Amino acid sequence: MGHGGYGGNGEEAAEPMGRPGSGERLVILALERFGVWLRSIVVCLCGALGIVSADTADIPLAVCLLVPAFLACGVRLYALRRPHMFPLALLWTLDAAVVVLTGLSQPVIGGESANVMVEAMVGISVVAFQYEWATRPPAGAALAVLGAAVCVLGDILSSPGDGLDVVPLVRMLIQVCLSRAAYLIVRALARAADRSAAVRAAARREREVAAARRASEREYLATLHDTASATLLMVSQGDGRDWSWLPPRARQDLEAMSAVPGFETGSVDLAALLGCVPEGEGQARVRLKTRIEGPLAIPSGPGLAIFNGVREAVTNVARHAGVREAQLRAWTEGDGAVVELSDTGRGFDPLAVPARRRGISGSIVARMHAVGGTATVTSRPDDGTRVQWRWHGPTGASQAGHGTQVPGVPRPPRAQAQHTADVRFIRGRLLRGTQLAVLLISLVWQFTISLRRLVVHQDVYRPAWAQTASFVCLAVVAVVGGAYLLRGRRLPPTVRWGSLGSVLAVSAVCAFTLPAELSTGAPDWAFGLVGWHALFLLADLRVRVFAAFLGAHVGLNATAVFLSGAPSAAQWATLGISTIGSCGFQLSVGVLMSYLLHGTAPAAGTAAAQEEEMRTRERIHEDMQRDHKERYRALTATTVPLLVGLGHGVLSPHDEEVRLRCGVEAARMRRLFAEGDAVLDPLLNELRACVEVVEHRGVTVSLSVRGKPGEVPVEVRRRLIDPVAVTLGRTRSTARVTVVWTPRAVRVSVVSEDCAGGRDTEEAAEAHSGATNAKVDVARTTRGGSVWVEAGWSRPAISGVDLT
Amino acid sequence: MSDNAPVSVVVVDDHPAILSGVEAWYAASRRPITVVAAGDSVREAWTPPGSTADVVVLDLQLAEGGPAFGSLRRLVDAGRQVIVYSMRDDEKTALNCLDLGAATYLTKSEGRDHLVEATLAAADERPYMPPALAGALGTNTRADRPQLSVREENVLIEWFQSESKELVAQRLGISVRTVNSYLDRVRIKYANVGRPARTKASLVARAIQDGLVDVGDL
Repeated sequence: MGHGGYGGNGEEAAEPMGRPGSGERLVILALERFGVWLRSIVVCLCGALGIVSADTADIPLAVCLLVPAFLACGVRLYALRRPHMFPLALLWTLDAAVVVLTGLSQPVIGGESANVMVEAMVGISVVAFQYEWATRPPAGAALAVLGAAVCVLGDILSSPGDGLDVVPLVRMLIQVCLSRAAYLIVRALARAADRSAAVRAAARREREVAAARRASEREYLATLHDTASATLLMVSQGDGRDWSWLPPRARQDLEAMSAVPGFETGSVDLAALLGCVPEGEGQARVRLKTRIEGPLAIPSGPGLAIFNGVREAVTNVARHAGVREAQLRAWTEGDGAVVELSDTGRGFDPLAVPARRRGISGSIVARMHAVGGTATVTSRPDDGTRVQWRWHGPTGASQAGHGTQVPGVPRPPRAQAQHTADVRFIRGRLLRGTQLAVLLISLVWQFTISLRRLVVHQDVYRPAWAQTASFVCLAVVAVVGGAYLLRGRRLPPTVRWGSLGSVLAVSAVCAFTLPAELSTGAPDWAFGLVGWHALFLLADLRVRVFAAFLGAHVGLNATAVFLSGAPSAAQWATLGISTIGSCGFQLSVGVLMSYLLHGTAPAAGTAAAQEEEMRTRERIHEDMQRDHKERYRALTATTVPLLVGLGHGVLSPHDEEVRLRCGVEAARMRRLFAEGDAVLDPLLNELRACVEVVEHRGVTVSLSVRGKPGEVPVEVRRRLIDPVAVTLGRTRSTARVTVVWTPRAVRVSVVSEDCAGGRDTEEAAEAHSGATNAKVDVARTTRGGSVWVEAGWSRPAISGVDLT
Repeated sequence: MSDNAPVSVVVVDDHPAILSGVEAWYAASRRPITVVAAGDSVREAWTPPGSTADVVVLDLQLAEGGPAFGSLRRLVDAGRQVIVYSMRDDEKTALNCLDLGAATYLTKSEGRDHLVEATLAAADERPYMPPALAGALGTNTRADRPQLSVREENVLIEWFQSESKELVAQRLGISVRTVNSYLDRVRIKYANVGRPARTKASLVARAIQDGLVDVGDL
């Protein structure tokens, strides 16, 4: 993976389009490896053959030339593993040296076989260079030119008398251009796959981040509900009771509020945690009969969610059930845990609990849901209550490999399926790319090199029309397959196997209508060509199938040579070298394609998924930290000082002013909890949440609404309701709350008959005014004991006139 | 009707507790108000002694189902002054009743503070605007609504919000009298639009006669 400094850092992560995606990167890497290995194997094999076949006198010189070439190949192979150890200039020089040395060995070894071998070595090398140096095309082109020059030089040196033969040079040029084109096609499709994967991944990331933020928001609100909100409510409602529990509780609440939710790591022993569930004190004490089959090791996220939920449920028993005893049981179930709290108290009708009461819905159910577990409450009036928490380990392999996922953030269960889909998508694009490349090679080869051979050697075929027909047949196969490919469709099996049969028939016809002594020689235009057609047809199958086809193809030609009567050793040798030179090369391309489809595509999918997960995790972490700071900042001006005062005894719950302030803060918090409710009129819903807190204190509140409700952004709602919440919190007996919607404005008002004066009524609106620039006008009128506070917001002028 | 003449009322409501509350409030009135007939059916208003009562207090939601708009229309068409006295704190119903020609629309939660005044005003064919109705008129977006000034709309809404003319006057820096005149003017504007009815016409006529509104304002 460590190719050329692609290590991700923040800046690059922020701009994923600016660098190659994982698919493109891995394709480039695979092609480079392919190029180096192919060239090294060919050079070493052919070079060794050359040394063996050379005259004894020439061996030392040949060894002097070829062994350094072998060494250079070895260094190049080693450099694949350690790309940073070698400067590029050195690598290029090594490659150039290999070409020059092998080229110069041609006149040294001498003879026809040397010509063929050197031609094969240099020919393969210049093709391989295009992949080795794919990201630096000038370097590859320069090496190709050098290869051509060496070929010419070798020909001139080994047979000084002959004129310059242009045909092999043109063939070499065609091959080089084809390799470059094939590379560009495959890369373009890999790039397209990366791009669309990135787009889909970004959308997915947004969803996951949003889900994680919602989960952490729920967890934070649930914590607030159980801690600060409960404490403040108790202080605001109580008088003349024993407050000794209050200071430590207020300090604990502060700690709970300042902890960032959802970032505890590791696992916890649930049994040990449940052993610490507080039973309450004094009148609120609930004796817990525990039966826990420990240890119960589970991730800390669900563990804490269960613990906090149980704690809340125990206080519910004390508050509502009317009994002083409850049973707490816990046991393992499969790879998860089940915890159950049951009492024999007065029970209730779960359906009758209003949505804004959050003890059950928020602290118990939603909190458990947020960490991927479930909590159910079963109760009937007069029949006790049973709360059950269930958590099961992640299923499937999707979570196993990725170690440290953010606890408390549920990983989508579709992750594995998503990964498979990504791999399938990348594989599909790569398959299309390689097929296009091979089709291009087939057609260009057929209509340049092969066509020229067919035309030039018309007189040697017996009969000539059979060869021409074969040529047309191959062209038809390529065109039909190309039509399917360009329309983005898969080859139907009948077309695929029919075409393959035709290609094999062409192979047979060409083998048997050519004089055996010319087999695989210059007039044999088909031998090196049909492999490409077959590769195109069989690209998406196992490489074995293609190998079998090549075997059949070579077998047909060998049979033709064999049947023509005792073939000479030279004939066999030519056939063998041609087989290695063309079919071997084609097979290696087949292996490469198979590797791209079955090795690179999954790797690219995995790499993309990992990068994606890193980015998602970073975003989640950042957003959670920011959200938390924001939330905490909103409370620092209001709740925090109050809890600090209560926690350190500076503020006394016996003081009416302190109790009223607690009432105000409790109302504000209830409004905050109501923000997340999915209701048609959130403003009214949040207002009702505040009203309920005050009604708990025995204040009579009338609430009237006029006009047609509309959209109000959440920060405007906060600022509209806050002055009302403050006034309500300080009301002692009766209040009238109204909401008026006109087409131009929404006005929230409260008239309090006997509002306790206090310093924070004046600064109420400031507390939440934060950075928002929502224009909310607050008007305040006092007359005798009555206080009238009104907050108004001008609505954007889109609301039409109601014509009903 | 002279300003101190006794007023007779027929109360149509199917809830006995409401009836006794209404009678107690009337008994405390500075100007005598007598309930001449009461019952759970609108027949009480058509048969003696209810048929001659000055004011009909009508519960819109009688036992037999939907709002009794038909009964209201027939009473209005017979020239009766009807105070709709309803549990429904609902602006659509209030606007419908005004359009049909009811003298005023009062919710039951407003009864203690406003029923006596509303009854007297109805007997005198003077406008009366309780807060719940003011809220309904202040947020009315129907196409056939009368044109109100910004100040009139503000007074309506603030009267609805605070239920205290003193508070409204204090906030707007005007006198309670001025607050009342804004409310009356709005009420007359409403009497001058929509379905024609004798009660509405006499309300407008009386207002012009009293100098509450100018003919040019309408």
